[in-house]
Amino acid sequence: MDFDDTPDEAAFRARVRALLEEHAAELVHLDAGEEAADAGEQEQALRRTQRVLADAGLVGVSWAREHGGQSGTLAQQAIVNQELARARVPTLINHIGLGMCGPTVVAHGTPEQHERYLARLLRAEDVWCQLFSEPGSGSDLAALRTTAVRHGDEWVVNGQKVWTTLAHVADHGILLTRTDADRPKHAGLTMFIVDMHAPGVTVRPLKQLGGQSDFNEVFFDDVHVPDSDRLGEPGEGWRVALTTLLNERVAVGGGGNDLGLSVESLAALAAERVPQLSAERQVLARQALGRAAVAALANRYTGYRRYTAISKGGLPGPEASAGKLAGTTAAKLVADAGVRLLGDDAVYGRGPDGDDGRWQRNQAWLPGIAIAGGTNEVLRNIIGERVLGLPPEPREDKTAPFDGVRR
Amino acid sequence: MNFELDDDQRAAAAGARDFFTGSASAADARRALDGGPVTPGRKALADIGFLGITVPEDAGGAGSNVLDLAVVAEQAGAVLAGPSLVTAARAAVLLADHPDLLAALADGSTGYAVLDGAAPSIDAAAADTFLALEDGALVLGSGEVTAGTPMDATRGLASVRLTSRRVLAEGAQALWARARDVALVALAAEDLGAAGRAVQLGVEYAGVRTAFGRQIGSYQAVKHALVDAWVGVEQLRSLVWWAAWAADSAPDELPLAAASAKAFAAETLERAAETCIQVHGGIGFTWEHDAHLYWRRAKVDRFLLGDEAEHLDTVAGLVLAGALSR
Repeated sequence: MDFDDTPDEAAFRARVRALLEEHAAELVHLDAGEEAADAGEQEQALRRTQRVLADAGLVGVSWAREHGGQSGTLAQQAIVNQELARARVPTLINHIGLGMCGPTVVAHGTPEQHERYLARLLRAEDVWCQLFSEPGSGSDLAALRTTAVRHGDEWVVNGQKVWTTLAHVADHGILLTRTDADRPKHAGLTMFIVDMHAPGVTVRPLKQLGGQSDFNEVFFDDVHVPDSDRLGEPGEGWRVALTTLLNERVAVGGGGNDLGLSVESLAALAAERVPQLSAERQVLARQALGRAAVAALANRYTGYRRYTAISKGGLPGPEASAGKLAGTTAAKLVADAGVRLLGDDAVYGRGPDGDDGRWQRNQAWLPGIAIAGGTNEVLRNIIGERVLGLPPEPREDKTAPFDGVRR
Repeated sequence: MNFELDDDQRAAAAGARDFFTGSASAADARRALDGGPVTPGRKALADIGFLGITVPEDAGGAGSNVLDLAVVAEQAGAVLAGPSLVTAARAAVLLADHPDLLAALADGSTGYAVLDGAAPSIDAAAADTFLALEDGALVLGSGEVTAGTPMDATRGLASVRLTSRRVLAEGAQALWARARDVALVALAAEDLGAAGRAVQLGVEYAGVRTAFGRQIGSYQAVKHALVDAWVGVEQLRSLVWWAAWAADSAPDELPLAAASAKAFAAETLERAAETCIQVHGGIGFTWEHDAHLYWRRAKVDRFLLGDEAEHLDTVAGLVLAGALSR
């Protein structure tokens, strides 16, 4: 047991670090919680950053060479992610494409689709989004009602998607639609690649609880999609979507990284604020700090176990969902301890003395973490049934024709 | 990075599981409450070599490390075995410079207990030789033992007043602190095993008990409670391994890791045991069912070697002093 890189990993890390230093001037660098001034400029800078990294061989490391990647390991990809974080390079703009859409296109796309889309995705020439959730189907994704109807070599799409990260800047999306409502819900779905600039696609930012807009609503009104952009066979959409969801499970919280502000941020705030508190308050603050730190450390070291499994060539299983559950708990403890340390400022959106309001914003992000990437309740079902072997709930909606099920 | 058990440790865990499931049980823990023996007992643990896991080979032990001990302690905890490997782990650190005393620990000829002042101490009820810190000195002696009414008889708790003492080392505070941290790791490892078993009992029952026409484990209210308890167990496992690794390989990290593991263990075992009872319904609240024996272990262990409030405060102090930025 050890926490050191293997000689191979150490050499790889050194190479990554050298590349990041070599290209430092061409990359965006941000501190966590910092916000850019102009959204449009920021988008261009982020696209450029990913292109530079891709050309340096640091994007899609675990993707096969034939798909534009490096044919590296998941462990190498994790090392790149760690080094990007260390260099304060913000999350890559195409993270949805890299984490979810790309692997789905790789697994289910035709050679022509691979050729057409993957290299551009890696270089952020095209930014991708994932068009799954709808107002009427979140956890129950297979109940979605956006339709695609075939007309010769084209499909015509109508409906609405929601909670679509990056839709406002995206060039393409993977779009899950219902193509046969007479079949049971999972069997009547088909996946497409959709051009986000096509006529009939309307993107509206969704203002969320904390006032920010990280997601969008996307409307499809008679949007024409060529059959050559169908991803997988008609009726096979659920199987295609499962590839996406499996990758999402890994991308959201599977790695044991802090969801929200880090426990190190809390430690820094506490070092500044705790000594100013009364003795009685210090006792309480130390309990909250200790509890948050223990939860974050437990989650972090559990992530190291999954990382170990990955570095030995394993694939993350359903137990990776536990990382999001524990990560949510830890993030809430960290956020709450942080907000409490703000004292009176905690009741305002930001402090009066130049404080950037990052703890308040962090707090306002947390309810979303427990919902995004599979609600924590759905994840508990997955763990309960696939890891603990508990029986599933009886369901009538899996076998009856979609149009025949009461909704 | 290689943060998992190796093949030898997995084999050791399997061997320990076989030994403990054949030599101790929750049923024994129930009988111990009525005056029955604590099982497997000191002699059996000595014969299989578990009292000397961290005792050097030239003193009759296995010369293995704290992680190896933690792997075995988890299996001991799963069946509520006694006496505790906490005592063996802690005494082995304290007696490191005394091969003859170590040999008597490993072969079971001396029954040690380590005292924390007047507080009830693990395995003291059946011990004959006591280790304590007095005015900074490590002392060994005999004592007058006062045991209260046991809540978990497998812990052998008693308060001890030393009646004789021999100084083993002056200025032993650092040694004492390390021994206590190693004891925290072993205790957290035993709690890991107990918590894992409590969750397993709950999962098994939820798969067979039916209500309203189906297995109760199919209801989300039951399923999610078990999942949350299981997630806690797996998080605890990571802290136990980290703390054990730190004891062996990164002594600077041990205080943070050990306090974290003990604090998390207290809450994890409590949740697992309470969930186990709740999932069982009425039968889980009976004397005849095993669930309360895990519950008893939880209600006792949470206070041993410092409760979670103490250890969370320790963690906070270390974090404020920069422990996370190393």
